[in-house]
Amino acid sequence: MEHPVTVVIIEDHPVVTEGVASWIRSDPGQRVRLVHTAPGLTGLRAGPGPQADVIILDLELSGEMVTSQIPDLVAAGYRVVAFSGHSDPAIVMETLDNGAHAYVSKEEGRDHLVEAVLAAATDRPYVTRSQARAILADQHPARPALSEQERQALLLWFQGMSKASVGLRMSISENTVRQYISRARAKYAATGRTAPSKDALLARAIEDGVIKPGEILPYRSFARTAADRPSPGGPGR
Amino acid sequence: MTAVQPVAMLSDRYQRAFTIAVVFLVAGWHLAGAGGQLLHDRSAYGSFAFQGAMWLVMALAIAAGSVLVLRGAPAWRPAWTVAVIALAASTAAAAASPAGQMLAVNWAWGSAGWMGVLVLLRRRFAEIALFLACETLATLGVLAWDGLNRSDLAGFLAVLAWSTGAQVAVAAGVKALDGAAGQAADAARSEHAARERAATAEIIRAARHTRWLALQESAVPLVAELAAGTADPGDARVRVRCAVQAARLRRLLAEGDEVPGSLLHELHASADVAERRGVAIEIETAGPLPQVPGPARRIITDAAIAVLTVALSQARITLVAVAAGIAVSFVADTGAGVRMPAVGEGVAIEQQQDGSMLWAEARWNIR
Repeated sequence: MEHPVTVVIIEDHPVVTEGVASWIRSDPGQRVRLVHTAPGLTGLRAGPGPQADVIILDLELSGEMVTSQIPDLVAAGYRVVAFSGHSDPAIVMETLDNGAHAYVSKEEGRDHLVEAVLAAATDRPYVTRSQARAILADQHPARPALSEQERQALLLWFQGMSKASVGLRMSISENTVRQYISRARAKYAATGRTAPSKDALLARAIEDGVIKPGEILPYRSFARTAADRPSPGGPGR
Repeated sequence: MTAVQPVAMLSDRYQRAFTIAVVFLVAGWHLAGAGGQLLHDRSAYGSFAFQGAMWLVMALAIAAGSVLVLRGAPAWRPAWTVAVIALAASTAAAAASPAGQMLAVNWAWGSAGWMGVLVLLRRRFAEIALFLACETLATLGVLAWDGLNRSDLAGFLAVLAWSTGAQVAVAAGVKALDGAAGQAADAARSEHAARERAATAEIIRAARHTRWLALQESAVPLVAELAAGTADPGDARVRVRCAVQAARLRRLLAEGDEVPGSLLHELHASADVAERRGVAIEIETAGPLPQVPGPARRIITDAAIAVLTVALSQARITLVAVAAGIAVSFVADTGAGVRMPAVGEGVAIEQQQDGSMLWAEARWNIR
């Protein structure tokens, strides 16, 4: 990679900020560069344009949940990786629905945070075990339909297997395991509220061949399709 | 829990006792008082048969009224229907008495008054007052029709004073007793609620104390050693101790979750021994879990123990609701395959070894 990915840490506990910074420093490829840390979001929104590629956002700042601020951050051009002590599936789902790229619980931080930041910087899905748990636990009536294979890959991943072991178990390659899990994530990006980060993730998933446009069409709202469709009498392209 | 019912019943029971007392009072008055006078003065009435018939009507009204009030506080319509029948019978009996002797031979006034007290006892006091006033006016009307004179009026006032006065006194007394019983029940209820709150607080306090004790003997010394510098985070053994304590803390938090069924708690108990041995254990659930019957739970926890006793340093247990049941999985660094318990009771077990890591899954299906 030519330029390291730039990142901002928004975290109200200095000791956690320090820990995350040390994970970033100890990355062998030095693929991520920390440009700013702050205990809150106030300063960040004032500046013109994004100060970094990715924000590592603690969801609870000074005792208040900030999940509802994610759409503003995403609109300002940031990719958001939520890093939280909470692992309640409802909170995970709300965070992703608001446009966060990935959700990393504090227990998963060491193994997954840097990778999740790198994936977010390229708009690629990154599914932690806490995200897999939230998808498996999802009872929402409007949840996307997952294939049996996607569900099984998510289940085994949540259970704690490595992706290679999941491949062994399912008699498929590790790459296909990643494909199934990413596809499940992409299906979620195609549902719920719209956000530029979700569109970017979806576009990249189509580009990477993770998902075909036809697989996500049923989940887009009909109003949107109708508005985008050119009228029969209008000028053709 | 157990004390709530007696408390709630206390005031009901008192009220019922007062009602029964009034029923006996009214029935006794009508039988002995009114009935006795009717028989004593039988030759004085124009038509004894008519007086007797009115007495019977009143007796039936009293019987109906008693049934009404013993069933609970009556609605205004049945209560007033019975009361008006009694009032009509009483007025008719008074009107049929020979002129000038009405006050002397009238047996019905008292009975009708008591009847009103009986059926209107649990209604507003104003209704009893209204009934008694109507009855007084009706009697006065009969007297006036016959030609009211001074001695009649004096007699009327004397009867009014002791008869209606006694009825008002009884009605007021019962109202006061009802109020007292209600207050006593309220006091007992709030005292019970306070006791229950105290008991709940004690349970929470005891659970906190148990957790605090658990941390005292394990996590607290470790944190103290780390702070004092006697434990070195660079030491692999110290890191394992930290991991174990972290897993324990997580488990203490998980125990506060609302988790239906005892499978999760049994798995926690199974994990405890391995944890003491220094294995870092994570337990996670996804989705609402179904209730698993006892024999199937035993097989699943046996599988957990089989995996955990040979885990070297780490294990992850997950519980996931699947289409027709529950999938409980174990991922641990056992180094080799594990001898699993015999399957049955709807539980199927699979395992896979990949290098040093074992994955095993016990799946229970609702049949």
